[in-house]
Amino acid sequence: MRIKEHPILGATEKGATVTFEFDGKPIQGFEGEPIAVALRAAGVMVHRHTMKEDRPRGIFCAIGRCTDCVMIVDGKPNIRTCVTPLKAGMKVETQYGVTAKKEA
Amino acid sequence: MERYELIVVGAGPAGLSAAIEAAKAGMKTVVFDENAKPGGQLFKQIHKFFGSKEHKAKIRGYNIGETLLREAETCGVEVVLNATVAGVYEGRELTVMQGDSIKHFKGDSIVVATGASENMVTFPGWTLPGVIGAGAAQTMMNLHGIKPGSRVLMLGTGNVGLVVSYQLLQAGCEVVALVDASKKIGGYGVHAAKVARTGVPFYLSHTIVAVHGEDCVKGVTIGEVDAAWQVIPGSEKTFDVDTVCLAVGLSPMAQLVKSAGCEMNGIVPAVDAYGATSVPGIYAAGDVSGIEEASSAMIEGRIAGAAAAYQAGYLEKSDFESIVTAHEASLGSLREGMFGPKQRGRVQTVTEEGIVLSQSLLTKGYLDESDLAHFPSIQHGKTGVYPVIECTQNIPCNPCQDACVKGCILIGNDITSLPVINAEATCTGCGMCVASCSGQAIFLVEEKPLESTAYVSFPYEFLPLPEKGDRGIALDRSGAPICDAEITAVRTGKAMDQTHVVTMKVPLDYASTARFFRRR
Ligand code: SF4
Ligand code: SF4
Ligand code: FES
Repeated sequence: MRIKEHPILGATEKGATVTFEFDGKPIQGFEGEPIAVALRAAGVMVHRHTMKEDRPRGIFCAIGRCTDCVMIVDGKPNIRTCVTPLKAGMKVETQYGVTAKKEA
Repeated sequence: MERYELIVVGAGPAGLSAAIEAAKAGMKTVVFDENAKPGGQLFKQIHKFFGSKEHKAKIRGYNIGETLLREAETCGVEVVLNATVAGVYEGRELTVMQGDSIKHFKGDSIVVATGASENMVTFPGWTLPGVIGAGAAQTMMNLHGIKPGSRVLMLGTGNVGLVVSYQLLQAGCEVVALVDASKKIGGYGVHAAKVARTGVPFYLSHTIVAVHGEDCVKGVTIGEVDAAWQVIPGSEKTFDVDTVCLAVGLSPMAQLVKSAGCEMNGIVPAVDAYGATSVPGIYAAGDVSGIEEASSAMIEGRIAGAAAAYQAGYLEKSDFESIVTAHEASLGSLREGMFGPKQRGRVQTVTEEGIVLSQSLLTKGYLDESDLAHFPSIQHGKTGVYPVIECTQNIPCNPCQDACVKGCILIGNDITSLPVINAEATCTGCGMCVASCSGQAIFLVEEKPLESTAYVSFPYEFLPLPEKGDRGIALDRSGAPICDAEITAVRTGKAMDQTHVVTMKVPLDYASTARFFRRR
């Protein structure tokens, strides 16, 4: 999914490669890029499930406006992953409603 | 409470321009923007801008953004990022949220340049991950270097839909179709044509019936709509895609001006020629006061900034008037033409010159052979190399005229006029017009009847770049394969700014139809 070389923009400047955790699994991304970008590069599409109907949501606006991309980051729910920079060792979890667990 | 002489809300093209103009005159100016980076949408714009030299035509949006930022820095404009202006109150007081803290500011003048937000449409499956806004696609590709998906369907054929489709192709995505419920393509024909010639089909009078998938997008069904906007049974087509991109228009983000008590004119604040709202000292500039191109937003910003400076006594009346006169003329020229505000909603069938518009361009995205004969910039059967300019709508643009030092291309003073070939001048085949054309609408043709071949040069902005000796297939304007082709030259240069001029050899009969190349 990453654009290796762009015909107009050339190579994208990125930070150091870092490892973070997505639902308990280690994933790599670039430091400082939005968490959502690192997840998309790893093939993750679903960021959360809605509270009432359990419907999946993912990136929609990518600029921090729609809140479709919110996840639990380092234990804090409702973090807009499209505008939150990735740091090494972050714990990112799929959000169900406002928690990390699927309600039975 | 901190006080500034001018507070600008929004560091996009309009806001930065307003701040620069005011700071240049000597005002203590700050710009607040809710994003982590300044520039608004400019840094996502990677195409060459339209307009004329004074509008920074043929310069790519992100380069214009860089220039604006440098200019702002030089003038001493303070830009505060990650700062959301929550409200504007009596006495021009503002509350600004930065992280968890809230601060209060007071501005002697305020310029609101909050821009626009994307419109939405709903259909079954619209909330599935993989359905994204066109702006999101641009953010992902052009700021973060990631493809939004592999196979994309675009809904909307305004300039945003057309430009983003082209950008998706540049990023290496496949665009399976452009779809619009309207009967006609909304954006510039030249933007549509550069997408169409790569082989992307347009479906006008079509809408999305449903997006399929459990956890994310796996496909999409579209259908043709009748006069009552109902899907015609049996017209449905399904595409295998992982992304559906929505480009269904923009709406001004006018909440702040509204909350400040400014009189509204529908969804936009009522403003005078300088951007002044009904509340003294509060101005609005850019998309917030009516959706237009970034080039217009920058001029509106300059005018509002100058007006604030004049009001505060930083500019003499005569200086203010000369600044405004120049900017107004420049803005006026951008607003002329078929796509200008005055023409909105009108059905147009002929150009300003009285030439019948190509219906094929408006419904399929490409010019039909039979449309071409009437245009003053399309020629064939000449000796030597000659330009063919497939620019057939009155858009505010003239870099082609400036590009040709030989004087082959004439537009005249009115920048919306169609380009005309100057029969007196001789083309040297330098390729500068091809690379400079913001619409990628200029081709060079050289016919060699004795060899039964023709050489066709065309603009190319994709990777991998063809190489001399490459063999493949020439595509026509619709993207259909028509004949064998061999690449004979690839020209690249600093002045061409990433638009390469590629020349292919084709059989003579295809001189006026071969317009793009695909490797075998
Ligand atoms: S190829 Fe060069 S000389 Fe010929 S029309 Fe274009 S700019 Fe002018
Ligand atoms: S041919 Fe000239 S006017 Fe038309 S898009 Fe190209 S540069 Fe602009
Ligand atoms: S995708 Fe809209 S807030 Fe992140």
